[in-house]
Amino acid sequence: MEWVLLWGGSLMPTLTYLQAISAALRDELRADERVLLMGEDIGVFGGAFKVTDGFVDEFGTERVMDTPLAESGIIGTAIGAAVVGMRPVCEMQFSDFISCGFDQLVNVAGKMHYRQGLAVPITVRLPSGGGFSGGPFHSQNPEAWFMHSPGIKVVAPSTAEDAKGLLHAAIHDPNPVCFMEHKHLYRRVKGEVPSGVFETPFTARVAQPGSDLVVIAYGAMVPVALEAVSDGLDGASVEVLDLRSLVPLDEEAILDSVERCSKVVIIDEANQMCAAGAQVAALIAEKGFESLDGPVVRVATPDVPIPFSPPLESAVLPGVDRVREACRELLAY
Amino acid sequence: MSSSPTSTLVDVTMPQMGVSVAEGTVVAWRVETGDRIEADQTICEISSDKIDTEVPAPASGVVAEILVPVESTVEVGTVLARIATGDGGPVASPPQSLDGEPAGPTRTETPSPSPAPQAPSTARSGNGHRRYSPVVQRIAAEHGIDLAQVPGTGRGGRVRKQDVLAFVESAPVEEPPLHIESPYRPDPVSAPVVSGDGLSRMRRQIGEHMKRSLDTTATCTTWIEVDMSRVEAARKRLGVTGLAFVARAVIDAIREYPALNAWLDGSEYTRHTDVNLGIAVSLGEDGLIVPVIARAHELSVEGLAARIRDVAKRARARELTPDEVRGGTFTITNPGQYGSIMATPIINLPQVGILDFEAVVKRAVVLTDAGGNDSIAIRPMTILGLSWDHRALDGALSAQFLAAVKRNLERV
Repeated sequence: MEWVLLWGGSLMPTLTYLQAISAALRDELRADERVLLMGEDIGVFGGAFKVTDGFVDEFGTERVMDTPLAESGIIGTAIGAAVVGMRPVCEMQFSDFISCGFDQLVNVAGKMHYRQGLAVPITVRLPSGGGFSGGPFHSQNPEAWFMHSPGIKVVAPSTAEDAKGLLHAAIHDPNPVCFMEHKHLYRRVKGEVPSGVFETPFTARVAQPGSDLVVIAYGAMVPVALEAVSDGLDGASVEVLDLRSLVPLDEEAILDSVERCSKVVIIDEANQMCAAGAQVAALIAEKGFESLDGPVVRVATPDVPIPFSPPLESAVLPGVDRVREACRELLAY
Repeated sequence: MSSSPTSTLVDVTMPQMGVSVAEGTVVAWRVETGDRIEADQTICEISSDKIDTEVPAPASGVVAEILVPVESTVEVGTVLARIATGDGGPVASPPQSLDGEPAGPTRTETPSPSPAPQAPSTARSGNGHRRYSPVVQRIAAEHGIDLAQVPGTGRGGRVRKQDVLAFVESAPVEEPPLHIESPYRPDPVSAPVVSGDGLSRMRRQIGEHMKRSLDTTATCTTWIEVDMSRVEAARKRLGVTGLAFVARAVIDAIREYPALNAWLDGSEYTRHTDVNLGIAVSLGEDGLIVPVIARAHELSVEGLAARIRDVAKRARARELTPDEVRGGTFTITNPGQYGSIMATPIINLPQVGILDFEAVVKRAVVLTDAGGNDSIAIRPMTILGLSWDHRALDGALSAQFLAAVKRNLERV
């Protein structure tokens, strides 16, 4: 069992990734009066992606707050509320917009514990990623910005069950947590999700066991990896490791996979430079060197803004073909 | 296996290991007929009287013939094996047929009758053209595999993890000696199971004698720790072994406790005035013999050392006379050169005591000075074990005897 059942829960309904996020928020609002939601158009409109559709009717405008278009204000207000005991969950309409709230998150929330000894239990939901012609302002994967900033945790689910379990764990966590929810997975990924409040630990998960090569991915790149290796790659046994959490990074699980498989392909949908996968590659180079049987191979988005044009966008984002080719090359090495 | 007319045979001969050395013994072959070998790679291990060494292959190629079996002693210059250089086609074993090494023209040139000089092979033998990943090197090191022997199936003939793992599974390499100078050699793979009938006459005699001792005597073993600092210093000064000092210390202790210098044969107990000291000498696999140094009490440490050296040498040369292995009144056994620290020796009937002297090991010990102050020091220590016959004496006496030996050694 990868999750811990805290209370309730019996049947396992099948939910989409988006419904799982909604269910987690609803369960938290019902279970804990300290939880409140803040964001642009999350109330009456139900959110840009309808994650909070109908919430305002059940919980009222004081717990499902429509805010001005000011991410700095949203996060700053949430920090203040958290310091006095609330458990705010902020929605960035698109993760790209968090740059406007960067200072509050990185310099205030992330350092509060170190400077004042105060916990800032806020969760910032970041609908991220491309694949739908959203263009350069609506398609980014900014998780590495926050990985680089001490004091902030970063998680990125790839399944409906993990989306719910990680969101519960993020809300319960006493630290600021960036919850990277991938827009492309919202309605494409479905799965059985336990009802009730449960926590998914901030650890990696073997999505598919194997022994010849491991593909390390997170978020929307997990289904890409699974599809890329689904045809067996000429009979090779390929493992897929879903990181789930980027901060903390599950070093033990990564090194365990590397030790068993000895060949590694790391996928980032984010731009390649200093992406999460770069940290994973550095970790392997330092602590898994003696297990390696080939170069650590990365597949990532080139260092360009995400193009609006559909053919250009699909050319830059790591797809099934690129991942499969990288695996074939490395297996043959 | 015969060689191809298209390849050239190069002889591997027994080298001259020293000016006065005329012959050598093949200790182990590192290759089998049909194996590919690179120039300078070790083809076999040889041994002369005292020196063990390795014979490098004079050329790259395939081992065509092995002419001298393991344990055979041959004269310097004798051909030990032949290497077929060049194509090597006729003796290539199946794994080689998969071998698509980058610099190896051996496969592509198979139909060519060219004598194939060594140049193409030596290009690879310098270890600079074939690189191995960390995991491959680690696995090879763990299993003692020579990676040059592993066929690679990766890109450009690269040895991949699965190649070395397959090699480990398919061809378990012969267990190498622990160290080139180690007396230990792995058992030959085809060694027959030794049955009771297969024991040598000497082994059977030793076995009967030991069993009779255990069945007859009430054997008890007492140990004492001895600080060998002074002995170590003195023996270096005199150029003798520690055993000679132990022998002298035992003789002196016997003077104080003559009950140990006795025979108990049935109910007949005889004390001896002379100390005829038995020294156990290992004859390797053949067994063990205990030559006796008669009237050892008349000898100094240097004299004892010389006599011990003499009887040990002649024992190993099988030159002892029957008189020299009779009449012992007390025995010392000294297997400590291998590092063991304690044993329970078996009494050499009809004697009533045997002293076991094992390795001298540096240890941290607590010393107390005249003022009663404790300190920790590093001292060469040994543990002497005395097996004694409880029918002839009691534990208190054996302890007193050991204490006397200890005192004698620490006062050297």
